[in-house]
Amino acid sequence: MTTQPAAGASRLKEQGMSVTLPTQEKIVFSQVDKLFASPSKTGDQVRALVGLDLTVHKSEIVSIVGPTGCGKSTALNMVAGFDAPTNGSLRLDGKAIVKPGPDRAVVFQQAALFPWMNVLENITFGIKSRGVAKEQYMASAEKLIRAVGLNGFEKHFPYQISGGMQQRVQIARALISNPEVLLMDEPFGALDYQTRILMQQLLLELWREFKPTILFITHDVTEAIYISDRVIVMGARPGRVKLEVAVEEPKPRSLDFLTSELFTGLEHQILETVQHEATASHAAH
Amino acid sequence: MVVTNVVKQQAPVGVDAETSKPFPSVAISLISLGAIMAVWFVVTNTGILGPKQLPTPQALVSRFLELIKDGYQGSSLMGHITTSLTRTLSGFVIGSVVGIVVGLVAGYNRVISAALSPIMSFIRPIPPIAFIPMAVLYFGLGETGKVILIAVTSFNYTVVNAQSGAAGVPIAYRRAAATLGVSKTQEFFKVIVPAALPSIFTGLKTALALSWAVVVAAELVGAQKGLGFLINQAALFFDIPTVFIGIILIGIIGLLLNLALSLLEKKLVHWRGRG
Ligand SMILES: Nc1ncnc2c1ncn2[C@@H]1O[C@H](COP(=O)(O)OP(=O)(O)OP(=O)(O)O)[C@@H](O)[C@H]1O
Ligand SMILES: [Mg+2]
Repeated sequence: MTTQPAAGASRLKEQGMSVTLPTQEKIVFSQVDKLFASPSKTGDQVRALVGLDLTVHKSEIVSIVGPTGCGKSTALNMVAGFDAPTNGSLRLDGKAIVKPGPDRAVVFQQAALFPWMNVLENITFGIKSRGVAKEQYMASAEKLIRAVGLNGFEKHFPYQISGGMQQRVQIARALISNPEVLLMDEPFGALDYQTRILMQQLLLELWREFKPTILFITHDVTEAIYISDRVIVMGARPGRVKLEVAVEEPKPRSLDFLTSELFTGLEHQILETVQHEATASHAAH
Repeated sequence: MVVTNVVKQQAPVGVDAETSKPFPSVAISLISLGAIMAVWFVVTNTGILGPKQLPTPQALVSRFLELIKDGYQGSSLMGHITTSLTRTLSGFVIGSVVGIVVGLVAGYNRVISAALSPIMSFIRPIPPIAFIPMAVLYFGLGETGKVILIAVTSFNYTVVNAQSGAAGVPIAYRRAAATLGVSKTQEFFKVIVPAALPSIFTGLKTALALSWAVVVAAELVGAQKGLGFLINQAALFFDIPTVFIGIILIGIIGLLLNLALSLLEKKLVHWRGRG
């Protein structure tokens, strides 16, 4: 007996896939290698990434965790356009990435605000120099400044505000161009525990409003699970994906999620792999 | 919010701590200065050193008042000072502006940098004073030669620092500018130039100090006016107090010039070391 309706439905689904479903592919690494010239003249090349396969879908939040030196920043820098893959293909919306651009905003770990510009100037620098009308970018800036809780600090210079506030400025600066992709390399790594949680919640709130695709690098497994739809664990030498877990908890997430069974189960699973990889990478040294 | 308290603007290191110490640095400096004056006074007034070797403080003061009243060799004392200052500042401004512009462009652009660096690294170690005879040869003993000499001196020192400043802009700033979609021109003026400012100021300070030294040296050779001319002339006539006054004035003015640049730096580069 043939199951006509079911086959029809699956065909419909196949056709509709690429256009309508929210699982549109945004960033696709396929078989990406990244080799760096050896720091010493005689040594071998550094194999930072070998055969990396990773897909990030539109509006998805994906975190990468893994031991130090496993190539997390290398992967993110290639998406940003700072570096090109040695082999393989890396595509954004199906097109090869050639150079950095405001469609992919980057939040750096630290020291990436311009110290000679105040908070408002830092936030509006990019959008302003791209020729957007003043009323327009000022309106967006005001909205974002309120959203990240920086009102009253517009005229402060980066050295006059705390580390947490500096990261808020970076986030506002990144979001003002309404980027489709947000790349964050250990953005909260230097913050204390309390501030970190506030920033994670802020990030989820902002995600709800702007729905960017987020690639997030962290050393903190708790942070990764709390904010992500998917957590990728990378292994070192050479860097590649070791474990991939989906976090099936709707966003926004309350703090209760941190103590739920789902959470602790995932945490256990991820930590085990991370630990194993860290030991392996240590042994390789 | 809970953890968003503003970091207080820190007082520069030392300022707060100073006032609470029993002997603030300023007091120590003043005591040291006073001690030197006292030794000077005693040594010269008791005849340990004769007026040919070291004039008494009183003699200096009375000579100074005389110079203010009568001038020296046809020009007022102020005239000598402004002549030297005008030469220095015009040469310094011309040389520094060109030096900074060339240095920044060279630091930003690999091709220009590669083209310039052999010439620059050859000229840099030559002491500016070695160019004095050449300046006299090409431009004579007039103002042009002196101003050009100082301009060349200033250029040499500002160009190097501007170039290293522009070339050494942290990669994080350049990457941030690139992801913000900033144009090359905007990146140059809004990122590279401000990031290079601390280094530019280092060059400016060296350039100004050397320009001031070079003007005095240049005035020793064929000048009718200026502080260099004044001390050279006075030495020829064994007018020791005037020589001392000239030297002290050169020192004080050099100090004030440096102070002026430091104040400008503090204003323009208020974020220095806090980036
Ligand atoms: N420009 C470079 N030249 C040579 N080797 C490099 C370069 N950049 C990175 N590497 C090497 O590539 C590997 C991956 O580096 P990467 O910075 O991506 O690691 P990471 O996972 O981000 O580490 P961390 O968690 O410490 O930030 C490391 O072995 C590193 O030494
Ligand atoms: Mg990294």
